[in-house]
Amino acid sequence: MEEKKPSTADILAKIRAQKAAAAAAAPTETPLSAPETPAPIAAPESAPAAASTPAAAPKPAAAPGPKPTSTKDIMAAIRSGGAKPAATPSAAVTTPAANLAPAAGTTPVAGAAPAAVAGPKLSPQEMLQKMREAKAAAGPTAAPVAVAAKPTTPVAAPPMPAKPPSKAGKPAAVRRGMASFATVASFSAICFLFGYLLESGFLIALGALAWGALLSPFMAAWAAVAGIGGIWTLGIARFMFPNVLVEPPSKFKVGPLSDYPLNTVSNKWKDQFGIWVVHTDQYEGRNMIFALASVCTHLGCTPNWLDGEQKFKCPCHGSGFYMTGINFEGPAPRPLERMGLRIAEDGMLEVNKSVKFQEEMGQWTDTTSYVEVV
Amino acid sequence: MNHLQHNPDLTSSVIYGLGWVYLLMFLMNAYWVRRSYALDGNCRLSLGGILGKGEQIPVAAFWAVYAGMLLMVAITHLTGSNNPQQFSLQMPEILKEPINRASNPVAFFIGSTSLYVLMIVLRKWWTTPTAGWILLNLSILFLALSVTDYDFRQIVGKPDNVPIVAMLYIVGFFTWLYFKKSVDNDERKAAGRPLFEQENNEKVLTWPDLVYTELVCMVLVTAVLIAWGIVLQAPLEEPASAAKTPNPSKAPWYFLGLQEMLVYFDPWMAGVVLPSVILVGLMAVPYIDFNKAGNGYYTFNERKFAVSTFLFGFLPLWVAMIVLGTFLRGPNWNFFSPYEFWDVHKLELLNNINLSELFWIKGLGQPLPVVPPGASFAQQAPIILLREWLGLVGVAFYLVVLPNIMAATVFKKFYIKMGFLRYMVLANLMLMMMSLPIKMVLRWAVNLKYIVAIPEWFFNI
Repeated sequence: MEEKKPSTADILAKIRAQKAAAAAAAPTETPLSAPETPAPIAAPESAPAAASTPAAAPKPAAAPGPKPTSTKDIMAAIRSGGAKPAATPSAAVTTPAANLAPAAGTTPVAGAAPAAVAGPKLSPQEMLQKMREAKAAAGPTAAPVAVAAKPTTPVAAPPMPAKPPSKAGKPAAVRRGMASFATVASFSAICFLFGYLLESGFLIALGALAWGALLSPFMAAWAAVAGIGGIWTLGIARFMFPNVLVEPPSKFKVGPLSDYPLNTVSNKWKDQFGIWVVHTDQYEGRNMIFALASVCTHLGCTPNWLDGEQKFKCPCHGSGFYMTGINFEGPAPRPLERMGLRIAEDGMLEVNKSVKFQEEMGQWTDTTSYVEVV
Repeated sequence: MNHLQHNPDLTSSVIYGLGWVYLLMFLMNAYWVRRSYALDGNCRLSLGGILGKGEQIPVAAFWAVYAGMLLMVAITHLTGSNNPQQFSLQMPEILKEPINRASNPVAFFIGSTSLYVLMIVLRKWWTTPTAGWILLNLSILFLALSVTDYDFRQIVGKPDNVPIVAMLYIVGFFTWLYFKKSVDNDERKAAGRPLFEQENNEKVLTWPDLVYTELVCMVLVTAVLIAWGIVLQAPLEEPASAAKTPNPSKAPWYFLGLQEMLVYFDPWMAGVVLPSVILVGLMAVPYIDFNKAGNGYYTFNERKFAVSTFLFGFLPLWVAMIVLGTFLRGPNWNFFSPYEFWDVHKLELLNNINLSELFWIKGLGQPLPVVPPGASFAQQAPIILLREWLGLVGVAFYLVVLPNIMAATVFKKFYIKMGFLRYMVLANLMLMMMSLPIKMVLRWAVNLKYIVAIPEWFFNI
């Protein structure tokens, strides 16, 4: 931090200079020659910046030599070298320059695959093509050669030769895993189900144990997630059916006919039950009493009865309804809904909120939706 | 209207508070005088020949006179308030009356749309620093004068609504900034000079430059939020009751555009379909935008269509609707002028009719085809379709045929460049957006409620 704000270009140049110095110090003793070495790592964008700094100049020439470029090269080396095959990977291990390339540095084993990764960036098509070419050329001998190469690199287990058997064995293992998974799953599901039905904590715990004890940690984790999710779902389902429902009764008396003079709207029951009782002769010229739900048919706000204007008016979007409940202004698409109304045995009006009558469905002709006054 | 006023327009505390506003304006303009003196140079003042050939005076002199007047006004407000009722610096009735009379949804929409057009057409003029400064001064003066009106103060000064005023200034500033930078870059392009962003591409590091800036912003925002929370109390109302809806009942401010939309549409359309279309449409922008220009720099000329379309959807159809819903909608969702008393019994005749009623009753002079009560779906369907055929055909034409006509005419170049599917997405998104103003105009012009009205199936367009 002795300099004032090094720019991004400066930092890049510095890193490149350090790399170049290290690469220059490294001995290049690999059988692979310069033309096949990877191209400079620097992105074309930063190239001009690099050119301006002298430290970066030697970089392309001293690019890390020891990295084999492709699978094809390695296979070719193995095939032509005979006794030599170990030379390529061992060179990659021994040369300090290999430390510069992250892929080669971190995997000193240097099988074919890591070497290919460390090479110049190839497009997937190119990689595939090279793989195919190599396979076609090597044919069935490729595997023995690779196996033969094994003892020469005793440092760590090479991943490539080890792979084929594991690959062949895998499907069977998966199938076995699925079978045991299904068994345990059904066992613990039964435990959960009976545990829930019998409200036995022991059975539920047993089910959970079955999950945990018999399965791999991965399966156990998923099983735990599924189990907890299932319990929540059941809990929520139970929540939907409360033991006690605190709701106003759907049938209630609203007093005698004489409480409602002609062409008035009664707000008396709006707060408690959400209805207006209307007595009017404006609907089809008939003198009738009916109960309107105080819910706007546009978006469900509660309209107000404006006595001066003789209309219901919704404060949310300005819908307006006549005293009869018919919509006439604003966005409400249909008239207010009627509730059931009848004269009970004791002569009182009784509202039944469990049924509703919609005008647009032609339900207002239903005689239970109003009480005719004579 | 004076005889109806039961609340004083002016109180001594309002006058005192305005004094501080004017003092702040004086300080701002004192700075502007200095800036103008350094940058603006001189102009020739002849006063119509009184001064002969004229004098060379700096432009800053005008600003100095203006700032001096502001200082005097501020002192007046801060010192003299013996009788607030007789304080003469008020919004003059001459201004209030025409504004009150011209206030209705039609004028508001036409006004906001023409402002939008002017904003684009005159972008070279209003983005100069001086023009921006004048606009800022005018808007503050308008607000300060309007606050002397009781009804205006009740609405704009409500703690709920103060942030919306702030939002308007922020939206205005960023729109101004965008146009300023674009005009600059467009001029550079025309003159063959490098773009501003190419000429000044000083790259800085995330740490410390960006992180420090973010830290400072965080501290400032926290301080503002704390001050705001202390100074403006949240308005608490009575306990909620399912049986009683406040009048007017307003959504949170950011949804007021949506609430205004609901006045013109069925809740399914304005509450579900159109908001989804807005969201999906915004997500689809990278998909439908084939214009690669404007990547990494400000420009208007190279992205005329994209910018104008977005700004039309954002400014007149969203921000202006929020303003309308916040300040101009009163009890019963009636429209009120900014200086009008919120009368619960204001009577607005809004008898709306559906297109089918317009066609059958007014056009053909015969009653609507009636669905017999208790009819099954199969019996209902033909009658309903016959009743609503005009609207259904209209909607089908609008969404299916119109994009094709547009592809052959106005949007020919777009169609060729974008291909069928991409073009259809674009065309339908645009038509959906335009359906709001179309519906609004139809409501005002012919009191149209729904183009297709099938309440039996809860389907209204």
